[in-house]
Amino acid sequence: MAAPPPPNYGAQRPPMMNNPNMNPHQVRPGQGLPGGPNVHPGFPGGPGGAPPLPAGQPGVGQPYGQHIPPNRAGTPQGYPPQQPGMQPQPGGPQPTGFNYGNYPQPNRPAPNYRPPTGPGHADGMPPAPSPSMGQMPPMGNVAPIQRPGMPPPLRPLTGHAAGVPGSPMTESPTARLPPNFIPPISGTPPPPGPGVAPPGTRAGRRAYPTADPYSNPSAMSPMGGPSLDPFSAQLPSPEYGRPGTPATGVPPSPLPAQAPQFFNPGQAGGQQASVPTFGAQPAGPPAPTFGSQPQGQWASGQGMGSSSTFSSQSDLAQVTGSFGNLSIGGQSRGGPTSVNLLQGPPNVQEFDGPAPTPWISPESSVSQAPTSNSDPKYKRCTINAIPQTIQLMNKCKIPFGLLVTPYRHLLDGEDPVPVINPPQIVRCRRCRTYINPWVQFVEQGSRWKCNLCFLTNEVPSFFDWDPETRGHVDRLQRPELTHAVVEFIAPQEYMVRPPQPVVMLFVIDVSYAAVQSGMLATAARTILDTLDSVPNTDNRTKVGFITVDSALHFYNLSPNLAEPQMLVVSDLDDTFLPMPYDLLVSLTESRSVIEMLLQRIGDMFKNTQNVGNVLGRALQAAHKMISPIGGKIIVLQSTLPNQNEGALKAREDPKLLGTPKEVSLLQPQTGFYKNLAVSCSPTQVSIDVFLFSAQYADIATLSGCAKFTGGSVYYYPAFNAARSEDAMKFAHEFSHFLSRPIGLEAVMRVRASKGIRMTAFHGNFFLRSTDLLSLPNVNPDNSYAVEMTLQENLTTSLACFQTALLHTSSNGERRIRVITLAVPVTNNLADVFASTDQFAVASLLSKKAVERALTSKIEDAREALMYKLDDIMGAYKSSFTTSGQAVQLLMPDNLKLLPLLTLGLLKNTAFRSTSTVPSDLRSYIMAMLYVLPPEMSMVQIHPRFWALHALDQQAGLPGADGRIVKPPSLNLSSEKLERHGLYLLENGFEIFIWVGRAVAPELVQMLFDRPAYDAITAGKTTLPTLQNDFNVRVNNLIGKIREVRIQMMTTYPQLYVVKEDGEPSLRMWFLSQLIEDRIDASYSYPQFLGVLRERLGKVGTA
Amino acid sequence: MNGEGFLFLFGVVMAAVLLFAMVFFIIMFSDLECDYINPIDLCNKLNQFVLPENFLHAFLWLMFLINGSWMALILNTPLLAWHVYKIVNNRHMFDATEIFRTLPQHKKECFLKLGFYLLSFFYYLYRMILALLNEA
Repeated sequence: MAAPPPPNYGAQRPPMMNNPNMNPHQVRPGQGLPGGPNVHPGFPGGPGGAPPLPAGQPGVGQPYGQHIPPNRAGTPQGYPPQQPGMQPQPGGPQPTGFNYGNYPQPNRPAPNYRPPTGPGHADGMPPAPSPSMGQMPPMGNVAPIQRPGMPPPLRPLTGHAAGVPGSPMTESPTARLPPNFIPPISGTPPPPGPGVAPPGTRAGRRAYPTADPYSNPSAMSPMGGPSLDPFSAQLPSPEYGRPGTPATGVPPSPLPAQAPQFFNPGQAGGQQASVPTFGAQPAGPPAPTFGSQPQGQWASGQGMGSSSTFSSQSDLAQVTGSFGNLSIGGQSRGGPTSVNLLQGPPNVQEFDGPAPTPWISPESSVSQAPTSNSDPKYKRCTINAIPQTIQLMNKCKIPFGLLVTPYRHLLDGEDPVPVINPPQIVRCRRCRTYINPWVQFVEQGSRWKCNLCFLTNEVPSFFDWDPETRGHVDRLQRPELTHAVVEFIAPQEYMVRPPQPVVMLFVIDVSYAAVQSGMLATAARTILDTLDSVPNTDNRTKVGFITVDSALHFYNLSPNLAEPQMLVVSDLDDTFLPMPYDLLVSLTESRSVIEMLLQRIGDMFKNTQNVGNVLGRALQAAHKMISPIGGKIIVLQSTLPNQNEGALKAREDPKLLGTPKEVSLLQPQTGFYKNLAVSCSPTQVSIDVFLFSAQYADIATLSGCAKFTGGSVYYYPAFNAARSEDAMKFAHEFSHFLSRPIGLEAVMRVRASKGIRMTAFHGNFFLRSTDLLSLPNVNPDNSYAVEMTLQENLTTSLACFQTALLHTSSNGERRIRVITLAVPVTNNLADVFASTDQFAVASLLSKKAVERALTSKIEDAREALMYKLDDIMGAYKSSFTTSGQAVQLLMPDNLKLLPLLTLGLLKNTAFRSTSTVPSDLRSYIMAMLYVLPPEMSMVQIHPRFWALHALDQQAGLPGADGRIVKPPSLNLSSEKLERHGLYLLENGFEIFIWVGRAVAPELVQMLFDRPAYDAITAGKTTLPTLQNDFNVRVNNLIGKIREVRIQMMTTYPQLYVVKEDGEPSLRMWFLSQLIEDRIDASYSYPQFLGVLRERLGKVGTA
Repeated sequence: MNGEGFLFLFGVVMAAVLLFAMVFFIIMFSDLECDYINPIDLCNKLNQFVLPENFLHAFLWLMFLINGSWMALILNTPLLAWHVYKIVNNRHMFDATEIFRTLPQHKKECFLKLGFYLLSFFYYLYRMILALLNEA
């Protein structure tokens, strides 16, 4: 049963076999892969799905240079004007030597596989029959998983790379092809074609293949075969040879001359031998040809707004890329689609696209279920095709890491994580990996082979036999084999004590500032209103209160009391609790007493004049109170702790801001809170901090409590409950905070395939052992970043990462949430670049930069960011560009936003070089960047910018799927600001509405209910709800933003109205979010690119 | 036995003690890597030895100064300066939250100090014997 039906391959092989250059291992990056039906399912705007350019945005190929406002026109690196003539023309000349008439078409398995025959395809023109990713039919009949990422590691490489003709590898591996790597795709059987697997295939597969791709990496190689499909037709890019394409304004003299000779598909394959012989091998599509394939795919599939403009570059880089690859042993099959960054403004539409997924179909798992691979929202890897060798890893310079958000809040419409309760939790004996969809069944299914350490383990009998029904069960239906994210209910051996209840202990500041700002009253009111939704399904939840000023007040909340009893402790020489019990009570039993306390607490301290605060002592007492159980300490603080242990100085010194010494303000001024947090960690106590100070709050120091206990920090600068916006924001956030599910007494371990080692972790946790994260509470908002490195060369074609989160859920069950991510391994540098997830990279870099800034200097963090970008671009340049392209600034298409993201980080509040950001705010943003999942932090790095005055038909209204349709994003540049415009900008923490001076009074009336521009008040505001279409739409959009933010990061963004000629500070704040502009002394985006190009000038080309 | 003999005898003993301290540190670090001990316990344990170790070394240095053993003094000065530098910058203690990130540095430092104490052990021994021979 091991051998899958060779016919599958046989039908396709002949043509390829005719070509001596054909190499089954020549898996084209991006070819089979992105084409797979499950891969990149909805790549950011696949063809047809490409988001339309916003109105008013420069059209495709429109010279960007013309849009540069006068103040930027003189910048050294303004986008050079580009002649419209550069536009690709479908009927353009074909490069010579590219006669695809020679390609045997019959070997195309399915009609859908027809390569586009019009040359226009390469240009990313809306492809009529284009095999763009996401639209491809199931490839079951075609080469199943010919992901580029499954290179034929090791053995055959050298020989093949050299183009050894007729290598036996073409044959034998086919026979050994592990069945489970044949994409199953049961749902949509492909039209029977020459390559269609016989119906028996599936059955055979079901029978637990014994072949093992892990031990036999070469088995995978033939899969690359079909991907050789003659997509070469796309390669010729008509305008390729045209002068001027490189859009850099430099006469591209060398290019036209060189182009034709590069433009030999034979070279695209990176095989020198094939170049001359190509013409002589018309029988089969030469391997290299598919070097071109992804081009069309990427170009069109990416839905680039201006794909036609880029494609010429792509082709060029494609070809040259192949040259670059020669240097790595001739293994690679071409380069990723290159984009010249100098060619136009960044395409910000891609921020709205779905996250890139690993270059492997989830259906190549053992169960073939579409849910077999982890959703990027739970776990994503910066590289979706992992370099096989250490050398390759070092060469690509791309940071290698994972971003895990294990306990994330589910959004509407998402399937809940399956919870299973097997008689026994099946794990690998050696590495303790949990069984998952990526294991292999061997020995007729009696054993399973661990996909991390490759040890074979027994399959327990209950996998096939249900003792209750006394019937046979299909093991491949088990959730642990069909879902990458599952939750096991853990048996006794996973507990050191019975699962703890939820414990919430509030430590509330009742000093003068807290009472005056209304924080105390609002907090009490919110807690009171939320008591019903606090996790309390098993009625075990415990609650306690401590209020703090210069003394500690404890509350006896015994259910036997008629009303709460306050116990004041003013002797603070030592930490002690006034009574041993009844301070922490059951929420259900003492509900009435608790409610009474919350109703009265505001009045109790109404007239206080006490400005002292002994938070340090309060936290010690709180820890003492709940340490036997563990739980959550919630600190609400308006004053800087100023007495007793843990007293802090108001050390803010505006003179230090913007200087290298600023970092001293970002580091804790005392180790007290950190030490406290460290002692909380083993007792399963987590601390969450809410800070409301109107003056200095010292987030840098107090956030230490949250950082090492898995908590969170919330900051409300100058909070005043009298302003309804402030009160609303806090109430919303606090109420969501209290009612969201929490995981308790958790530990998280990350395991990875043999050869991969974790080097560093980022996030809020305490690292208890080299790979064990201790999380007293797991918080749905927090994500964790893991930096990894290759310890040894990988020997398999799949690398797997498994995160196990052992926690107690809020209903008192001990559970293990297991998240498994499988990523293919490649030996091709081009694949590595083409599969890199720029958003994950930016997110990982931001976390590293935060750490760098805090341990060294902010300036060092900026330099590190810049250096890393340089490094990556340099690595790309040195491998994939030719000397003729030196004037361009090339990046792979999938990394083309990385420079913009880096610029966004450099200008972010956290890292910007400025003397106007208070250290509290900087600390807060850093703390947030450090914990937020990539989807959320991305908005902070690159805000969303919409034109409200030009909403299209659907924007702001529920779309076909019931979700609010978002308007297209605009580039973050003030050149987009028209005087009559109305714009919305959102960065995750704030929403700004910019009102142009010449805005139409009707719009103002509709939106703000004010007669004219002059009547609008700037600043924090709430939009009126009016019965007109425009108002409804804008309110829908804001509501949608707030809904997502509150769910995913417990933040209720505040709305600010900014008038064009309004208050300068507010205006500057808004303008500082437009990161493509020059702000203070920082670069504009075109300038930044110029600097990059200069810095890269020294890097040699391939 | 003259003063110098006694001094270097003392030096030999001190060097041996410091040597053992370093061995202990290194063993603890490898325990941490093997997950036999958790970082909080490790730091609590090691931190109580950091200052005594530094103090002991400083005391030895002072003895050399008083005695005018310039060669031994010069040998020990860089290490003393390093200890003072760390204490002034408040970096002498092991931090449980940072320990895994800084472990390679700590290990490297411990190995270097181990080597230094070993060499100085033999140097003091040699000087002690020399002093005794001179006396004889």
